[in-house]
Amino acid sequence: MVKYLIRRLLYSIPVVIAITIIIFALIEIAPGDVADYFVSGEVEMSPEAMQAIRDRYGLDQPAPVRYFNWVGAVIQGDLGYRYTDGRPVAEAIQRRLRATITLISAALVIGVVVGVPLGVFIGLRQYSAWDISLTGFSFLGISMPAFVTGILALYLFSIQLGWFPSGGMRPIGRGEVGLWTSVHHLILPSLVLSLNYVATYMRYMRFSMLEVVHSDYVRTARGKGLADGRVTWRHTVPNAILPVITIIGVSIPNLVVGAVFTETIFSWPGMGTLYLEAVRGRDVPLLMGMNLVIAVAVLGANLLTDIVYAVVDPRIRYD
Amino acid sequence: MSRKLLTLLMVLAVLSTLMVASVGAQDEAGGGGTLVGAFDVGPGGAPQVIPYFDTAGRDWLSKIWSPLISWDETMSGLVPEIAVEWTSNDDATVWTFELREGVLWHDGEALTADDVVFSLNLALDPEAVTSFPTLSQLQREAVLSVTALDELTVEIELDAPRPRLPFFMIFLWILPEHELADINPAEYQNLDWFFTNPIGTGPFMHDEFEDDQFWALVPNPDYFRGAPKLDRLVNRYFADETAAVLALEAGEIDFTYASGDVALGLADEFDLYDGPSGVTNYFIFNLRNPALADVRVRQAMLYAIDREAISETILEGTAEVVPCISPFPAMWPEEYNDYAYDPDMARELLAEAGWDSSQTVEVMTYYDSQFHLDAMAAQQAFLADVGVNIVPVSQDVPTYNSYFYTGEGWDISYRGIGVNVGNFPFTFYVSGGWDTVDGLPLAGEEFPELVELLEAAQAEADPDAYLGLLQDICAFQNEIALEGYMWTAVRFGVGSPDLRDFHWFPAAGGGPYLSNAHLWYVEE
Repeated sequence: MVKYLIRRLLYSIPVVIAITIIIFALIEIAPGDVADYFVSGEVEMSPEAMQAIRDRYGLDQPAPVRYFNWVGAVIQGDLGYRYTDGRPVAEAIQRRLRATITLISAALVIGVVVGVPLGVFIGLRQYSAWDISLTGFSFLGISMPAFVTGILALYLFSIQLGWFPSGGMRPIGRGEVGLWTSVHHLILPSLVLSLNYVATYMRYMRFSMLEVVHSDYVRTARGKGLADGRVTWRHTVPNAILPVITIIGVSIPNLVVGAVFTETIFSWPGMGTLYLEAVRGRDVPLLMGMNLVIAVAVLGANLLTDIVYAVVDPRIRYD
Repeated sequence: MSRKLLTLLMVLAVLSTLMVASVGAQDEAGGGGTLVGAFDVGPGGAPQVIPYFDTAGRDWLSKIWSPLISWDETMSGLVPEIAVEWTSNDDATVWTFELREGVLWHDGEALTADDVVFSLNLALDPEAVTSFPTLSQLQREAVLSVTALDELTVEIELDAPRPRLPFFMIFLWILPEHELADINPAEYQNLDWFFTNPIGTGPFMHDEFEDDQFWALVPNPDYFRGAPKLDRLVNRYFADETAAVLALEAGEIDFTYASGDVALGLADEFDLYDGPSGVTNYFIFNLRNPALADVRVRQAMLYAIDREAISETILEGTAEVVPCISPFPAMWPEEYNDYAYDPDMARELLAEAGWDSSQTVEVMTYYDSQFHLDAMAAQQAFLADVGVNIVPVSQDVPTYNSYFYTGEGWDISYRGIGVNVGNFPFTFYVSGGWDTVDGLPLAGEEFPELVELLEAAQAEADPDAYLGLLQDICAFQNEIALEGYMWTAVRFGVGSPDLRDFHWFPAAGGGPYLSNAHLWYVEE
């Protein structure tokens, strides 16, 4: 396993480099630059000022020079400063990452804690009223866009009922923000975001259960006279959950990618909206820094998924 | 009457008088409260900007820092801020600004002319790469020297006559030399100081800043217009207008900008603050396209679009049709062609010009609000009716600008431009103003008569004569339909009915304008 891990880590390095090159090339191809961003559509600016901005950020230098300058700085641990507001890139990413991890973790946990058991439940009751109604709910959860559910939830629970704040994030310990205030602001956006996870994990768990429940070893277990509960939780679920782990693993990169619609509706300052700001502003240092972080996170998440797989399924061995 | 009774009556009279006086005093005083607003939502806002990197967001900045001069409450004229009086020599190459006495920085230090000299030199420093000269159309090279003649007098010497220099000084934020004198101008934009310990002379002082969340201020008791009544002023940041409006409806904030259709829908529950946007929405035609270079085609497009109907229905009466680039009637000539809706005239002109109705013309825009998308859909329908097929193409601002300012890759652009008496978009109409593919003006053709008027206006010192020249420019633009002038819109802010003495104006870029924020308070 150790050799496998080292091999995977070494393979990851050229992958990350390739990703940064591709992203940089795409930014170069995209029309406009940060000087174009600063020119508000309704306020006149002078061509000299735009050129001064381009000179200031070295945009007149050839692309390979700018790319290697960035690599050199990154190797020294410096992600640079944002073009659009002059703040350090690392600081912006760190701040937004904390917010995103908080939000997405909460949504993922809800998704797993609610979705997986529900999938087990309906997997054992195929074509029952519960199965039909919860399957219908899952279709709704998967197909309803986040900005629709978000706005509906805000309107109902925040404006009409006044149960939750309309948005914003309150980190614990900032000012006089206590645990309840922080959680109170987290509940509605994480519930909205979790709908898709609950629906997805429930459906995959249901499918997996239906496959496993009819398998020979489960039939043997029943034939041996084992109680239903034991058959379900000792034999059926551990085998059925394997594919679902893969699906959950695929969701882990969202911890760093964020959820731009939910973040926008709930004014949650996460990575999704930061990425949008970076693209809108043609903010090259921020875009490169964020993509680097995301690439590392995705590769790490894939590795983590493989390790968990090996832990859960003793038949799987890496060498 | 017995002495005791008389005494009792006198005591009662005195007590009654005191009671009435104290109630009256309470009514007159009025004050306090925390006002939470989404001041950087909308076209005039820009969250977390700092002075001199503010192409917008200047309304909030003016709560902390003061400019040298400001717009008045409705952007109709200039009012003193740090400068109380300004004069020039005969040819407007040397300007003298007298500063307000007794202005204190938030840390108690006195503001002097040295602060103004420092601020202007910093704003003009090429290392700092600030936006100041850009916004003001005042090039760095235009300022030959900035001198403090005494503690409260500043002299600015220019390379050429600038009769309207005071309009440029609206964008000159005065920064504390004693705090920032030692900074490296190249690192100005990266300073944390603006968000951790900013010092200004505005009505409010920094209290707390939470990145991406809010900026909270407390009153400046030494503010030169009087101590603010509010206990706290907070600017909350929102990713978009919808989130801000929902927060307003949930009672979490007291004010936000809102699009016209949204604001009008909230009029029953909230107070509306509205005003002219000062922005003209129009088609700019790329005259490099021979078909569009024909004046008959451009005039036909104006006749084909029922701009009044769009203003009244789709824009719900929140826009006024304009005859030229200027949105202010004072800058219009007495007589002009209103290009009233006449599709028959449009077809006649297009036929004369030999317009090919099989061609499709893309109309490039950066607008993505429903307001403008609906208006463009209506324009498309009207034009299709007379045989002009346009396809709106909405792009983000950098993409739009990367094409627009080169003059190639577009035929028609639907855009806006903020115009006021001191800020006319001269560079759009002259060769060499922008680095276009052929060196011509952005629209692809230079009109000598127009250039002559523009140059005369720039050099004209007499305000009445200057206004007359702007009217002549308007007349020229209108007669040849140089551009497809549509309308100027009213913009709205929506506030809680508990706000008192609150003032908001939809100033382009946020102004700055005189908001009298020191008078605001929230009725409990």
